[in-house]
Amino acid sequence: MILVFPWALAALAGLPLLWWLLRVTPPTPRTETFPALRFLLNLRATEETPARTPWWLLALRLSAAALAILALAHPVLDAGSALPGDGPVLLTIDNGWASAPGWSRRLAAANDVLDRAERAGRKVALLATAVNRAGNSPAIVAPMPVPDLRARLAALRPEAWPESRPVATAALRGWSHPGTTTIYIGDGLAGDGFPAFAEALAATGAVTQICCDPTPIRVLRTPLAEADRLVVRLSQTPQPVATQVGVLAQSGDGRILSRATIGIAAGEAAGTAGIVLPTELRNILTKLVLDAPPSVGSMVLLDERWRRRPVGLLSGDPIAADAPFAGTLFYLNRALGPYGEVRTGDAKTLLERQLAVLILADRPLPDGAERTAIAEWVAKGGLLIRFAGPRMAAAEAPDKLLPVRLLGGDRQLGGALSWSKPTGLAPFAPNAPFAGLIVPSEIAIERQVLAEPDAGLPEHTWATLTDGTPLVTQAPLGAGRVVLFHTTANADWSNLPLSGLFVDMLRRLTAMSAGVTTGAEATVLAPVETLDGFGARTPPPLSAIGLAANAFAVTPVSAQHPPGLYGPESNRQALNLGSAPGELAPTPPIPGSRQEPLTDTPPEKSLAPALIVAAFVLLAIDTIVSLMLRGLWRARLSAAALALLLPILLAPPARALDIVANPALATRLGYIATGNEEIDGIARSGLSGLSDFVNRHTSATLVQPDAVEPGTTDLSFYPLLYWPIVVDAPKLDPAQIAALNDYMSRGGIVLIDTRGSGSGAGFAPGTENALRRITQGLNIPVLAPLTAEHVLSRSFYLLTDFPGRFVGEAVWAQRDQDRANDSVSPVIIGGNDWAAAWAVDAAGRNPYAVIPGGQRQRTMAYRFGLNLVMYALTGNYKGDQVHIPAILQRLGQ
Amino acid sequence: MAADRPAITARQAEAFASRLPPLLVAAERVAATVAQGLHGRRRVGQGDSFWQFRHYVAGDALNRVDWRQSAKSGQPASAGWFVRETEWEAAQTVCLWRDSSPSMHWRGDGTVEKQERAGLLALALAALLLRGGERVMPIHPGARPVVGRLGLERLALALETDRDNAGLPPDTPLPRHATVVLIGDFLSPLPDIEATMARLAATPARGYVLQILDPAETALPYRGRTRFRGLENDGEAIVPRVESIRDDYRHALEAHRAGLAAICAAAGFGFGVHLTDRPPETALLALYAALAPTR
Repeated sequence: MILVFPWALAALAGLPLLWWLLRVTPPTPRTETFPALRFLLNLRATEETPARTPWWLLALRLSAAALAILALAHPVLDAGSALPGDGPVLLTIDNGWASAPGWSRRLAAANDVLDRAERAGRKVALLATAVNRAGNSPAIVAPMPVPDLRARLAALRPEAWPESRPVATAALRGWSHPGTTTIYIGDGLAGDGFPAFAEALAATGAVTQICCDPTPIRVLRTPLAEADRLVVRLSQTPQPVATQVGVLAQSGDGRILSRATIGIAAGEAAGTAGIVLPTELRNILTKLVLDAPPSVGSMVLLDERWRRRPVGLLSGDPIAADAPFAGTLFYLNRALGPYGEVRTGDAKTLLERQLAVLILADRPLPDGAERTAIAEWVAKGGLLIRFAGPRMAAAEAPDKLLPVRLLGGDRQLGGALSWSKPTGLAPFAPNAPFAGLIVPSEIAIERQVLAEPDAGLPEHTWATLTDGTPLVTQAPLGAGRVVLFHTTANADWSNLPLSGLFVDMLRRLTAMSAGVTTGAEATVLAPVETLDGFGARTPPPLSAIGLAANAFAVTPVSAQHPPGLYGPESNRQALNLGSAPGELAPTPPIPGSRQEPLTDTPPEKSLAPALIVAAFVLLAIDTIVSLMLRGLWRARLSAAALALLLPILLAPPARALDIVANPALATRLGYIATGNEEIDGIARSGLSGLSDFVNRHTSATLVQPDAVEPGTTDLSFYPLLYWPIVVDAPKLDPAQIAALNDYMSRGGIVLIDTRGSGSGAGFAPGTENALRRITQGLNIPVLAPLTAEHVLSRSFYLLTDFPGRFVGEAVWAQRDQDRANDSVSPVIIGGNDWAAAWAVDAAGRNPYAVIPGGQRQRTMAYRFGLNLVMYALTGNYKGDQVHIPAILQRLGQ
Repeated sequence: MAADRPAITARQAEAFASRLPPLLVAAERVAATVAQGLHGRRRVGQGDSFWQFRHYVAGDALNRVDWRQSAKSGQPASAGWFVRETEWEAAQTVCLWRDSSPSMHWRGDGTVEKQERAGLLALALAALLLRGGERVMPIHPGARPVVGRLGLERLALALETDRDNAGLPPDTPLPRHATVVLIGDFLSPLPDIEATMARLAATPARGYVLQILDPAETALPYRGRTRFRGLENDGEAIVPRVESIRDDYRHALEAHRAGLAAICAAAGFGFGVHLTDRPPETALLALYAALAPTR
């Protein structure tokens, strides 16, 4: 703690004088009117002791005075030391992209410097080393008083591009003020021209370098697309210990579809991790984000290159290529058509446009213009897939665009003149792109072309037959790759094209190819939406200009080309900070400078306001006490004052209400508490969202749902119980079983939700087993899938399916009608994770995305919930609705 | 406040007085000033109530013979005749005075003003007296006796408009042998009071003196350093510690009261003290008892 005006403490010497003055001045007497004054006048002389101010009142007043004097001395807590030198202060701040993660700390450090300069009465100049959004090069803001500079400092933002050290160096060289104190708050990234910059900085005066963030500087590089995964790459400044950081894959609406963790060993500067996602989900990814403080460096925008993969098909026999069941391209078309764009035509036409994959089905490539063009295209990153066939086997000259050398002719397995039998496929090697695909046993390869045995053959092989002969071989060529299927693309040589495996293999290969963008190469794309230093989307800054479509991979990010999205909707490309390769070099210390760490130093706290307030409080107490001594402070007055003050002092704290006060007073839904906080939270917000929906759309009035525990809670008040199944759900004990059986036998409905176990997305694996476990002992009736004929699909809305967060899984209800309970099914079992679809968070949004998605699916989910509630509340009241067609038919007759 | 006070006080007093039987003032002396009134003088005279039958003597007017009573006697004429005689009924004047000096306009914590209590008691007494048929006259210059229910209203108005600062009844001519009731705090010096009482006793008049005090005036409940200010321009006094003089003050007040009682006794007046924190009924009962006929 320091005192800004220590001389003010001299006034403390006056306190004894004040004490003496206060002590000799008696308090003012209270005044009373009195009729019988005459008697008092006669008694007056009896006693005349001088009245003294009570000692405690004296102490109160003296402390108030002492506090006021202390406040005048202006004590400051956590104050930094005074700045060296006596000239102006040159505050140099790096505001390139690397400064964004610790920006608040940087600002705090800069403000701290300003506080210290202000106390010393020094002027401050400011130099931000990055080109600003208006495109202005770094320049020194001339020295000005601190209050004027604070506004400029507050307006400073980290930019999305690196610093311009050479320009900043030039600006520093023009600085000539003697006695300068230079404060350099760096971002720790050297960039180009740092030595010259450091030298120029050191030349300005005494340098204090405040550096750097304790966390490493990280850049998420553009990912690599592989067959079944997206490989995310991270660069960082090397750290002495191993670090880990999460990467989130997000879709356009902000949902997190996957998460990977990148581990980087000690001393390493880069790390990778794979994100495994189904192709459908991968295609809706729009960005990858580091699980770190927001920064443009921790974000990669994904554009069409990661999604669109047009496939070109080229046959050796163009005329019969599409013949049903026999043509060479027939099966390829059928396999690829549903998943992407398939183009046909001659080689020239196909290669004119951007193409990710080119498939040649039994088309030999003799020397010539076509082969040259294709080879060039592959070398630039294309993926060429070739299928063997009679033409290729019969080709005279060996084909040069093949991954392996082939033996002449083909090999026939089985057949009238052969002892051998058609052979199946061997399981895929774990490192091949087909890893994980299940090989059906019925696949039989009857003919194939054979690769020339070679020591390098195994590494070129992605798939083999059970006898070890290669079926799929590959070889890289330039930036691209050539893949050969040693059999035909139709059913002539094998039944592989008839199997689902064929589709999966082709999809894996397609996904592995490099994405493409359409449009001519040199088209200049205008910036549409750019990122600021924190990675937030903003309109393009003034400095941004267009960029040629073919220059995206090589253009470093700068003020002219800020990271972001460029081009029209149909041809959008992303420029990322991580596009341009490069090392992240940390800054060395500036020679001759004082080093200060950039830490979370607490900001300066002036104690003067608090002291002044305390002095005023004491004076207020003194006033009240004086009034009381004089009898002017009446009980009624103080009561009124208290009545005014109490509500302020005792601001009513938000108090949680006892929600399960008396469940019989209102209708409400219930969910069976699983003990898993997250699941219970979803169930609670889901039922709450459903209750709101029901209240809005029907005359039913549901209050907030309750958590119930069978066996403890009285279930008879709940028309409907929602029961989410968790994997580790324990077996029910006899009391719980009895309670649930009793509940169901008396007309209660239990909606059991396995939360997407059957949706194929694998969101809740293992709940099927848990369901089997916990329903042991429950009187579950014979079940049948719900159909559109069931009352449940008619009880309010007319429904044909029953979606929740997922769609399509069968929902089961009692098969036989039980007249005893109004034909109401006591249990409904499904796995569509309805509560997640119904869930509404505090802000009124739906926190869980529905899959595959769309507002319609969510609406239908709510409608199913409403139908369910109506079914629970009204039983088979709408049952005759099911018979309406029959009734109408009868009426018609 | 002052404008609506009379009506309210008159009504209060009436309600209050209705709880007691009509108050009969003992008429001890026959005075020339007595007028025709409602209450009997226990002697034969003009009046409405029956007093006695007596035998007819010659010279009695024939229309005074009670023929029914005479017929019941069964004796021959003249000897068996009875004359019906009525009781002589007469009213007495009661003179009321209520102190309205500034010292009466004062109250301590939680009590009523002495002035208000004095007015209430005076009017209640007047209501009782008027119901009993007496005549009531306020003591101030130019006052006239009042009779009947309407008289009470006039009396209330007269009491309210009466504003003298003397603290003692003015020297106005009073009916001889009148009954005088004085209500006030009587904090004036004893010699002044003695002079006034002597003048009243010489009228001649008899009566009652009721001293009304606030409890704060008897207990002096203040503490600490206090500046006391009088109500009648009698200066002020700063008392350093009120609690230290409390006993002395009480003694002084006691002495004053004893002197007052002695003066009243000497003048043939009754004396009583009423504190404003007590119910007014007690004071009215004391007045009632003091004015009631002594047998």
